[in-house]
Amino acid sequence: MSVSELFYKLNVNFNYVVAMTLFIIGLYTLISKPNLIKKFMGLNIMETSIFLFIVSSGAIAGGKAPIFGEGVGPETVFVNPIPQALILTGIVVAMSTTALALSLMIKLYEQCGTLNADKLKELK
Amino acid sequence: MLRSLDVILLVFLLVTAVGVVRTKDLLGASIIFSAYSFTMAIVWQQLSAPDLALTEAAVGAGVTTVLFLITISRTVRREDE
Amino acid sequence: MKKGLVVFALFLLWILLVYTVIVLPPMGSPENPTNTHIIPRYLEKGVEEGGAHNLVTGIILNYRGFDTMGEVTVIFVALTCVLAVLGRENILRHTSKAEVSSVEKSVIVKCVVRFLAPFIILFAFYIILHGAESPGGGFQGGAILGASVIIITLTFGFALVAKKLSLKYRVLFESAGPLSFFIAGMVAIFCGQNFLTYLLPCVAHTYQDFVRHLLLIMVEIGIGVGGGAAISSIFLAMEKVEKE
Repeated sequence: MSVSELFYKLNVNFNYVVAMTLFIIGLYTLISKPNLIKKFMGLNIMETSIFLFIVSSGAIAGGKAPIFGEGVGPETVFVNPIPQALILTGIVVAMSTTALALSLMIKLYEQCGTLNADKLKELK
Repeated sequence: MLRSLDVILLVFLLVTAVGVVRTKDLLGASIIFSAYSFTMAIVWQQLSAPDLALTEAAVGAGVTTVLFLITISRTVRREDE
Repeated sequence: MKKGLVVFALFLLWILLVYTVIVLPPMGSPENPTNTHIIPRYLEKGVEEGGAHNLVTGIILNYRGFDTMGEVTVIFVALTCVLAVLGRENILRHTSKAEVSSVEKSVIVKCVVRFLAPFIILFAFYIILHGAESPGGGFQGGAILGASVIIITLTFGFALVAKKLSLKYRVLFESAGPLSFFIAGMVAIFCGQNFLTYLLPCVAHTYQDFVRHLLLIMVEIGIGVGGGAAISSIFLAMEKVEKE
């Protein structure tokens, strides 16, 4: 594969590259930050990166949103609606898992007085 | 046509994500996270997904940020405590 | 040392992922495997079969109805777990964290929220009811409905919301999402069809479209009201503090 081809691919698939980079940033937060709230922000970034990847894979250049209304002819190009339908529910479920985790953190802080994962490990 | 706008938005997404990771103050981090979600909503709109843009703007930038803020107000504000 | 190891490992993973991106087909091409498999049929017959001009809503409620039913149940279960961990708020014993704080709320915030709150709620219901024709639907409208409850609670205090949206009714609203799916499914079963079929042959032919639209709107309202009530209940449970 030549260098120009490589740059062409990286330019066309820039959405994918950004999604992968966001995934790595989120994973880094999840691994290296001791604070539990910060860890969950990293997890949220990972979730949105995967959403970005899946929706980008269904995009079509010059495609319209898949809504049949006025100004839509037989040769109108639409984007792929299935990834959007999957991710729409995914966003809401991500919010509800975050809410559950945050309420557990509130309870944990009331009991242990810290949200630092390293300090929580030392508690018995 | 709007390719340059897409690239600017995606780069801004990366910048805000790094901002979330590097901010020690959790209150500031959650506000940057809200900016991240709003940028994501515009990216969805650019990808012709208006349903997702609506959801992300209401859920990601609105409700999730409020839940983070409540948790911070009831627990710790600095990351290293 | 440890941090350097983590960064190095993640860098290797990043290289691997970017290499995968390079060998993926170019984004935006209609010939990609993701865009050729079942999409032509959905685009051709989706409106006719799904009963919604917005294809995303059609897919969510009709083609993937079981999936969405599961997701709605996940939200309900998450709400149940939050309430199990933190406990339900009680208007006699609890007040909001924002009320006991020493920061005084500005009169501008109060005026703006008083003016905007009815319009936000109206917009939420507009989005819920027009999910079949335009961008929107139950999930989006429900989130906006929940956000309106949050903004009213933060501005006017706990007592107002707990009185206007009393626990007696909110308990019913929270389960509206799974329940509306269940009702729509059972209607189909009593007509001799599969679970979650919206086009019912036992209805006269001229009314079939109307009944389907009615069922879709019912499910949308169920998801929206259920989601909004779930978000506001989660918020109230996390926000409450003991009165002193």
